[in-house]
Amino acid sequence: MEELIYTGEHLLPGKIGHFLLLLGFVSILFSAFSYFKSTKSEDKQWISLGRFGFLLHGIGIFGVIAMLFYVMGNQMYEYYYAFEHVSDDLPMRYIVSAFWEGQEGSFLLWSVWHVILGAIVIYNGGKWESRVIFTLLLIQAFILSMILGLHIGFGEYIYKIGSNPTLLLRDTMQAPIFNNAEYLSLITGTGLNPLLQNYWMTIHPPVLFLGFASTSLPFAYAVAALWSKSYHDVLGPMLKWGLFSGAFLGIGILMGGAWAYEALSFGGYWAWDPVENMSLVPWLILIAGIHTNVIAKSTGFSIRSTLIFYLLTFVLIVYSTFLTRSGILGETSAHAFTEMGLEWQLVAFVLFFLLLGMILLAINNKTIPSKPKEESIYSREFWMFIGAIVLFFSGAIIATSSSLPVFNKIITYFNPEYVGRVITEPIPHYNKYQIWVSVFITILSGATLFFRYRADKWSASNRNRFLVAFGVCILLASLLTYLMSFWISYFEYRYAILSWSCVFGMLMAIWYFFTEGKANLKLAASAFSHFGFAIMVLGTVTSGLNTRIVSKNPFAMQGLVKDESMSKVVTLLKGVPLYVNDYWLTYERDSVEGRFRYFDVKFEKFKDSVLVESFSLQPNVQYDNKFKKVAASNPDTKHYWNRDIFTNIASLPRSQMDVELAKELEESLEYVSYTPSLGDTIFTSSKYGVIKNVVINPSKTDSFNLGVGLEIEFKSLDSEEVYTVMPSVALKENMIYEMPEVINPFNLKINVQDTFFESIFTNDADLDYVKYVVKENEPFIFKNFELKLNGFKKEVENPNYSEVENDIAVSADVSVRINNEDVSMDPVYIIRDNKPFSIKDYHANSGLHIRFQHIDPGTQSYTFMVAVDKRNFKAIPMEIAEEVPRSDLIIFEAKEFPGINLFWYGSISMMLGFLFALIRRYSQN
Amino acid sequence: MKKSYIIGILAIIAAIVIFMSASGDVSTYGNFTDANSTGKVKVSGTLDLEKELYYDPNVDPNYFSFYMIDNLGDSKKVILTKPKPQDFELSEQVVVTGSMNEDAFVASEVLTKCPSKYKDEEILLKADS
Repeated sequence: MEELIYTGEHLLPGKIGHFLLLLGFVSILFSAFSYFKSTKSEDKQWISLGRFGFLLHGIGIFGVIAMLFYVMGNQMYEYYYAFEHVSDDLPMRYIVSAFWEGQEGSFLLWSVWHVILGAIVIYNGGKWESRVIFTLLLIQAFILSMILGLHIGFGEYIYKIGSNPTLLLRDTMQAPIFNNAEYLSLITGTGLNPLLQNYWMTIHPPVLFLGFASTSLPFAYAVAALWSKSYHDVLGPMLKWGLFSGAFLGIGILMGGAWAYEALSFGGYWAWDPVENMSLVPWLILIAGIHTNVIAKSTGFSIRSTLIFYLLTFVLIVYSTFLTRSGILGETSAHAFTEMGLEWQLVAFVLFFLLLGMILLAINNKTIPSKPKEESIYSREFWMFIGAIVLFFSGAIIATSSSLPVFNKIITYFNPEYVGRVITEPIPHYNKYQIWVSVFITILSGATLFFRYRADKWSASNRNRFLVAFGVCILLASLLTYLMSFWISYFEYRYAILSWSCVFGMLMAIWYFFTEGKANLKLAASAFSHFGFAIMVLGTVTSGLNTRIVSKNPFAMQGLVKDESMSKVVTLLKGVPLYVNDYWLTYERDSVEGRFRYFDVKFEKFKDSVLVESFSLQPNVQYDNKFKKVAASNPDTKHYWNRDIFTNIASLPRSQMDVELAKELEESLEYVSYTPSLGDTIFTSSKYGVIKNVVINPSKTDSFNLGVGLEIEFKSLDSEEVYTVMPSVALKENMIYEMPEVINPFNLKINVQDTFFESIFTNDADLDYVKYVVKENEPFIFKNFELKLNGFKKEVENPNYSEVENDIAVSADVSVRINNEDVSMDPVYIIRDNKPFSIKDYHANSGLHIRFQHIDPGTQSYTFMVAVDKRNFKAIPMEIAEEVPRSDLIIFEAKEFPGINLFWYGSISMMLGFLFALIRRYSQN
Repeated sequence: MKKSYIIGILAIIAAIVIFMSASGDVSTYGNFTDANSTGKVKVSGTLDLEKELYYDPNVDPNYFSFYMIDNLGDSKKVILTKPKPQDFELSEQVVVTGSMNEDAFVASEVLTKCPSKYKDEEILLKADS
């Protein structure tokens, strides 16, 4: 077969990109080999070679990313990655979001963080470099293999390893379009999913992936420790990286929550979605690891647990990657990427590092130092260890429940008859356990602060200090919990206990910081993070448990659902105020900006008939890239210091949701034809309308060449309401458009048919022109028009005239008196290529047509042809549909989240704790 | 006894208790015959497009009803106490969570599986024609 030569393709970037990808991969092998050698030999040469290999690796990764940005930024749709993720109309600021929308881009993002973190390790040097970087490169090899795109054939079977983002579109799919050499001019990119077109998508993934990537370092240090059988010096760098990772993974997860709360319509920051869970679990284990690491560093206890926790953290990160990207979660998660056929490669990724950790632990078990004596129950390390175990348990429960789809798959593998299990109601299921975990953790995190490391027993002064703090905080917490019950409801004893434990933990942290810690920033890390954690959990009780539905009409009795607690949304008619819980709501107006349609909803609160509060919120809906249907609904939230009011467009009338549905709806309407004359009254089943007027060029046809509207006044037989509408027909570029009108309160749609246009504006061929030969300034009468040729214009102003070279054009200046009004008209006479032409002028309101037909230079007389439209105001063709569903309404949701800021302030305080810990650990060197 | 043993035994007891209590939280996708007025079940099936989908926000925006055929071929009315989800008519598979109330299944949650909205093939075919 003959090779097609395609036009317009840019093949060079792909070739360079592919080369860089291979360079990035091959240099891993080279660098890892050199680093491996360097662990066996004293020769510094090997380390240098390893670093050189790592440099090449970095160049490869950065290069591929640069190449992808280049083809995406320039919309080179011959590359499938550009085709799938960008489009011509995608704003530049979303190019980065589009880059990591795909699996390949997000793998690259993950690996580029490894390169940067690895460079920091190399820069700091030290004895751990060889082993840590070797382990890091091992991880990189797995990640890069996901985007390598190797096809290995075994006989008939072809195994695909990874999906290469530098490929051309025509190499990744077969379609008849590729038989066309010009195919590039026919296609445009698919573009970024509209749900992801917001700034959160720009900042959330890089932070989360930094969190992911940073868990590789405690892992790599743990591997290095086991490998070199040297466990004490590693605790320092391991702790630093553990804290770093805990901070960024934490921020990444919280940002996901903030994104969900601010920009998604479900109204909350956490939904116990399997993907959310599986990023939380490694963080919990990591926090357990950080605590045992601190124990190990201070006392020498818990070294083994520290290693286990850190190894597990990374394996869980890879496992969550597997869950997200293999498609195994199916319909149970909102986060899953599109499938890429990498399931087995991802399984290998998880298993390899799980086994690596287990084997290293098993063979070195004897070499890990452990203390002969157990921790004393009066010591800090004992209670910290208990806390770590509780965190581990919490993670294990969440991970097991979230892995249900995986267990189903495995069991079905052995027993195809097996019917998979699902969690009937996920939220109560997860809450049920995590309530008690949180109770334990908040109490422990407060109380443990008062214990001392390596304390065998309590000294009298320590015991007294502890008992005073403990006693005061218990009493104060009980009082505060009681007082809070006037603000929020606990519903059941479990939540009352949880709230109490949070307040207790918070108070203990404050007490510790100001008495024991003497407000010293050295101890601020644990005080701030424990305080923040307690506040954060309290925030989930106040805002999550006490979410109050505002959009509920307390007087609505006509609802079809008997259980009133089920109603969460109200229907708001445009301009009609509705009373809901505490507020009067008015949907005032809507406006379109780009692909967004904003709905202004006014909230008003009255107390004793006095307006005490008034504000407006603007939730919006976002149409898809082709403006055909609603793709997403974006909330708007009013923030108070102590609560939020969250609003969202839950739904819209069908005709506003989707162009297809609107068309379907239009087809289902039953129109009745009418042929009234001007002044007639027409009757529908319960309404009547008077044909008031025919309006030439009404304002709604301003963007058209010519239009006519019918002013109709509609009344109802049973109410006082009056609506005046102007259904119209209009002409633009030889097409006549019907512009119907809808009277929503009457459920009417009124349309004037296109033939009305011709009965008002007569075709030129059908006009009865009358010929006049006149001289300048000589008046002449046509029907009830008085006309006069005033002279000639130098410039041709008639808009119908477009100049051609060598034209001789003369524009007459004719004044016309129409209904006591003087109008100036300028018909044009042209000689073009020695032939005479005339360009008429037309006065739409009166329907007067004038042509400038001839000039007789000898007698100085001029010939005009004049005609008037045969306007017919009788038997106006129109149609009316009744029972038209209203289109001027929104289905509106408003919720109040009390104390939601406790959650965010708590998070910030916890992250500050991490920051203080990092500063302290880094300044120790 | 060593404290680590105590902790270990407590952990094992906790694990058993949790496992026992969690086993009641899981279920298989059922059918309308399994559903009764007590306790929630998940029923999986397909949309019965022969019968009416009803949603009128002018009457009650919290009421959407449709008919669903469960995996035994039984068609029942389902009432969802929420606005109608977008593109509901297009869903290939529907999973509802709720309980029976008289003749209808009252659902608090509905999950739909829709055909992918971003199919490359479609676009290529369009460009080709």
